[in-house]
Amino acid sequence: MISSINPSIKAIAVLIPGILLSFTFDVFTPLSYFIFILFVTFTMGDISVIKWLKFFSPFFLVALSFAWMTILYTNQTFSYGEVMFTLWRFEITTGSILTGTSLALRSLCFVALSLLFALTTDSTKFMLSLMQQCKVPPKITYGILAGYRFLPLFQQELQILRQAHRIRGVGRTKGLKGKINQFRRYAIPLLANGIRKAERVAIAMESKGFTGDTDRTHYHQMTIEKKDWIFFSFIVGGFIIIVVFSYNLGYLNIFGKKV
Amino acid sequence: MKQEQRRPLLLIENFSFDYESLDQPIINRIQFSLNKNETTILMGSSGSGKSSLALCLNGLYPDAVEGVSSGEIYYRGKNIRDFKKGELNQEIGIVFQDPESQFCMITIEDELAFTLENIKTPPSEMARRISEVLKLVGMDGLQNRKIHELSGGQKQKIALASVLLLEPNMLILDEPTANLDPVSSLEFIQLIKCVQEKHQLAVLIIEHQADDWLDIVDRVLVMGRSGELIADGNVNSIFMEKKTLLEQEGVFLPKRFSNTADSFRNFNHRILPSEDVILTVKDMSFYRKKQIILNEINLNIRSGEFIAIIGENGAGKSTLLQLMAGLLTPFKGNIYFFDKPMEHWDQKELRKRMGYVFQNPEHQFITDTVLEELTFGLKLNGYSEKKINSTATKLMREFHLEKHRFSNPFSLSGGQKRRLSVATMVDETPDILFFDEPTFGQDARTTREFMNMIERLRESGTTIVFVTHDMDIVDITNRAIVLHKQNIVYNGEPEKLWQQEKILKKARLRLPYRIRNNHEEGAV
Amino acid sequence: MTNQWKLKEIVLMSILGVVFGIIYLAFFLVGQVIQNILAPFGLAPFGYEIIFGIWFIVSIVAAYILRKPGVAFTAEVIAGITEVLLGTTAGPGLILSAAVQGAGAELAFALTKWKDYRLRVLIFSGMSAALISFVWHLFYAGNITLTPWLLVATLVVRVISGALLAGVLGKWISDQLAKTDVLRGYALGKELQKRRETGAA
Repeated sequence: MISSINPSIKAIAVLIPGILLSFTFDVFTPLSYFIFILFVTFTMGDISVIKWLKFFSPFFLVALSFAWMTILYTNQTFSYGEVMFTLWRFEITTGSILTGTSLALRSLCFVALSLLFALTTDSTKFMLSLMQQCKVPPKITYGILAGYRFLPLFQQELQILRQAHRIRGVGRTKGLKGKINQFRRYAIPLLANGIRKAERVAIAMESKGFTGDTDRTHYHQMTIEKKDWIFFSFIVGGFIIIVVFSYNLGYLNIFGKKV
Repeated sequence: MKQEQRRPLLLIENFSFDYESLDQPIINRIQFSLNKNETTILMGSSGSGKSSLALCLNGLYPDAVEGVSSGEIYYRGKNIRDFKKGELNQEIGIVFQDPESQFCMITIEDELAFTLENIKTPPSEMARRISEVLKLVGMDGLQNRKIHELSGGQKQKIALASVLLLEPNMLILDEPTANLDPVSSLEFIQLIKCVQEKHQLAVLIIEHQADDWLDIVDRVLVMGRSGELIADGNVNSIFMEKKTLLEQEGVFLPKRFSNTADSFRNFNHRILPSEDVILTVKDMSFYRKKQIILNEINLNIRSGEFIAIIGENGAGKSTLLQLMAGLLTPFKGNIYFFDKPMEHWDQKELRKRMGYVFQNPEHQFITDTVLEELTFGLKLNGYSEKKINSTATKLMREFHLEKHRFSNPFSLSGGQKRRLSVATMVDETPDILFFDEPTFGQDARTTREFMNMIERLRESGTTIVFVTHDMDIVDITNRAIVLHKQNIVYNGEPEKLWQQEKILKKARLRLPYRIRNNHEEGAV
Repeated sequence: MTNQWKLKEIVLMSILGVVFGIIYLAFFLVGQVIQNILAPFGLAPFGYEIIFGIWFIVSIVAAYILRKPGVAFTAEVIAGITEVLLGTTAGPGLILSAAVQGAGAELAFALTKWKDYRLRVLIFSGMSAALISFVWHLFYAGNITLTPWLLVATLVVRVISGALLAGVLGKWISDQLAKTDVLRGYALGKELQKRRETGAA
C-alpha cells in the first residue's frame, strides 16, 4: 500500500521526522516513534519481516556499539544523575546511559524510516516524481537513471576483475602501498569503462531526440492525491503527537534540557 | 538509383572533423551524397573515423565532444546547423554497436516511452505505438521485461525499435551486429531488410564485414586510413575493381569476392596433437543459484590440441572454460591437470602452466605501462633482472609492441590491447591457454593477426582452447565441443559436425562460409 | 547551472556514484575492521573517522575532471541519490547528508572562483567537506553529547582523512584515469593533452 504513495511526498514525509528527531535526547520519544514506524511498516508496507530483518539487523549492531561509545564518552551536559558504576576509568551515570540509549534509538528510527522508503519505492518512479513534482531537470533525472542502469554490469565486471587478477597472480597484497595499488587495480578499469559507457549512453539518448528540455510529455503521469497527503500527515502527525505526549509526561529532553 | 530523386537526402560537402584540431583530421575533406530509399554500406579499417562521421551526420558531433569541423552537411537542402536541437535526430536515427550502453531506462516499455516523450507524443497514444513497434521487431508482449536481462540480439532489436518510433527518413547502423552471435546477427539483418522494404528508408550501414548485407546493399563507400573517402560505387565495381586498394587499407573483402577467405584453412593443419592427455574433466556438474549450468561433463584434452567450445549464449561455454582454468570450483566431480586434481595444485605453479585470456583485455591489465605489464609475472616469480629484460624485449618484438613500451595499456588500440593481453600470458610458455571469445567485435586485420599469433603458439606446442562464435575458426580446429542444455551434445572433428543438421539447428550454429558456399547461399 | 552541463557529464557523475557506491560498501567493512582493532584500546570512536574522507571522494574526482561550478556539490548529491536507488538501507536522509558534504567540498572551489584545481585546493576541499560534515553530525547523529576532548580529536582525524582520502587519493585516481585516455572529452583530459603537446614541442 505504501508503495503506491507518491515517492517525493514519501521522501519528504520520512525526512521531516528524521530531522526533528535530532533535537530530542530522551528515551521515550524515539522509542515510541520507533514502535510507531514498526507498526506502519508491517501493517501498511507489504514488507516481509525476514527481508526487513536482513537489512535491519546489521544496523542494530552498529547502533548498539554507538550507544556503548556514547555512554563511555558523554560530556558534562549529558552525564547528569548519579554514578551508577565505574568501569576502569569511566564513570557511568544514569544520564549517560539514557543519552546513549536515546541516540541508539534515534539511529534505529533513521534506519527504519529509510527502510520504509527504500523497500517500498520503485527507482524509476522516484526519479519521474522528482522530475514531475520537484521540478528536478530531466537532464539530471534521466542522467541518473542511465548511470544507475549499469549497476548489474559493474557487479559482473568486479567479479571478472577478481578472476583476472588471480590469473595474473596478484595475490593478497601487503602494506599500505600494496593496498592502494589494489584499490587502483579495481577502480581504474571500472571507472574507465564506466566513463566510456557514460559517453555512449549520453550520445544514444541524444540521438533519440532527448534535449534536456523540460517541455516533454509523460507516459507515467505522477500525481499527488488525497492518499498521499493522508500518508504524509500520518507519518509527520504521528511524530508530533508523540512529542506532545512526551512533553506532557515530562520525558521530553531537547539538547540536554528537560522541557 | 532512380531518376526522380534529383535532390539527395543528405549532401556532404568538403567535410572535415577532428576531436582536437584540423591539422590531421580524422575525417578529411569528404564529399558524397546519400539518396532516398538507398542502402549504402560504409567500410574502412578500425579507427578510420566511420563512427565519428555517423554522429556528424545527425548533428551531435562536433558539439558533443567539443571537436572542430569544416565544410557543410545539408539535409534535404537545409544546412544541418540550422536545425534546432533534437530536430535532426528525429530525421536520422542511429543504432549503435554496444548493446549495453544505448538505454537509460529499466524496462522495455519505459525505454520506448522515453523516446516518445522526447518527441512530445500524447501519452494516450503511447501504449499503442509501443505495441506496434514491438510487433514490427517481433517482441510484442515483452513490454515489462527488464532490458539488462535480454540477450544481445534482443537489446539491438529494442534499440532499433526505439529509433523507429522517431519515424526517421534515414537509418544509420553503426556496426549493429558486431557484438552478436552469428544467428542473432543474421536475424537482425533480416529485420533491417524487412523494415527497409516497409518504410522505404535510406539506410547507411557501417560494417567491417559486408558479407551478410550484400543482397540489400546498393552502394559501397570506403574510408581510408587518412580519413578520406577512397571509393564510392556499386558492390561489384568496388569489390572487383578496387580489390588491391581495399586490401592495402585493411578492409575485409566479402568472401564472395575474395580468394583469401579460406586463409584460416592453411593454418594449423600440419600441427598434430599428441596422445598425451593433459586435462581431464570427470563427471563434473556446476550449479549457480541452485540452477544447473553444467551437468555431468566428461572431457579429455590432449597436449597440442586446438579445441573450440561452441553453443548458443547461456549454454555454459564460459563457465566450462573457467572451471577448466581453475577459476571456479566444480559442484560435483573432478578436474585433473596432468593427473593431479586441480585443488591440489599450488596456485603459483598452476598459473605458470596455464593461461587465460579474457574477452575484454582491459580486465587483465594491472600496471601503468606495457613494459611493466609484461614483466609483472616474471618479477613476481623472482627471475633475474637480465632474464626479465630479455623476455620482455622478446615479447614486445613478437607481439609488435616495441613502439608502445611506455604507453598506458588502456590507451592502446583494440588490436594492440588484445596482443598485450596474450603476451602477458605467454611469458613463461604455458602448457595450455584458454581464450574467451578472442575475436568477438574485432576487425578483419586484428582477427588475422590474432590467428597468426595462435599459429605461432601452437608451433611451440601450446594447447589452445577457444570459446567462440566464429564458425570459420571452428572449421580449422582439431575438435569442436558443442554445449547445449547443460550437456555436451557433440565432441569431435568439426568436419563431421557440419553434417549433423539436427545438432546445428538446436544449438543455433551456422555453417562456416566454406560449406555454405558449397550448398549455395544462406543455408542454416 | 545544469544548462551548461552536457548530458554525458551528468551521466558521468551518476556512474561515479555507482562505482564508488560499490567501493563504499567495501570501505564500510574496512571501517568495521579498524573499529574492532581499535576497540581494545578504547579508541573505537576513531574507527570510521579514519576512513571518513572516502565519502567525499566523488565530489573531488568529479570537480577535478569536469572543472565547472556546482559540480562538487551536484556530484555528491547525485551519488547520494544513486545509492538510494541501489536499494541498500540508504533513505532520503542520505541525500541530505550528501548535500551537506557536497556543499562543504564545493566551498573550497567557490573560494578560488572555480579556477584553481591544484592539489592544495583539492586537499582544502576534502578538509572543508570534513569540517562541514562534522558540524552536521554534531546534530544529526547527536555527537554533541560527546566529551569535548573526544570531539576535537575525532574532528582532527576526520579532517586529515578528508585531506588524504578525498583530496590526495581523489586527485591520484583521476590522474591515473586521465592516463588511460578515456577523459579526452573532459576538462582534465584536455589539460593533459595540452601539456603533452607543449611538452613535445
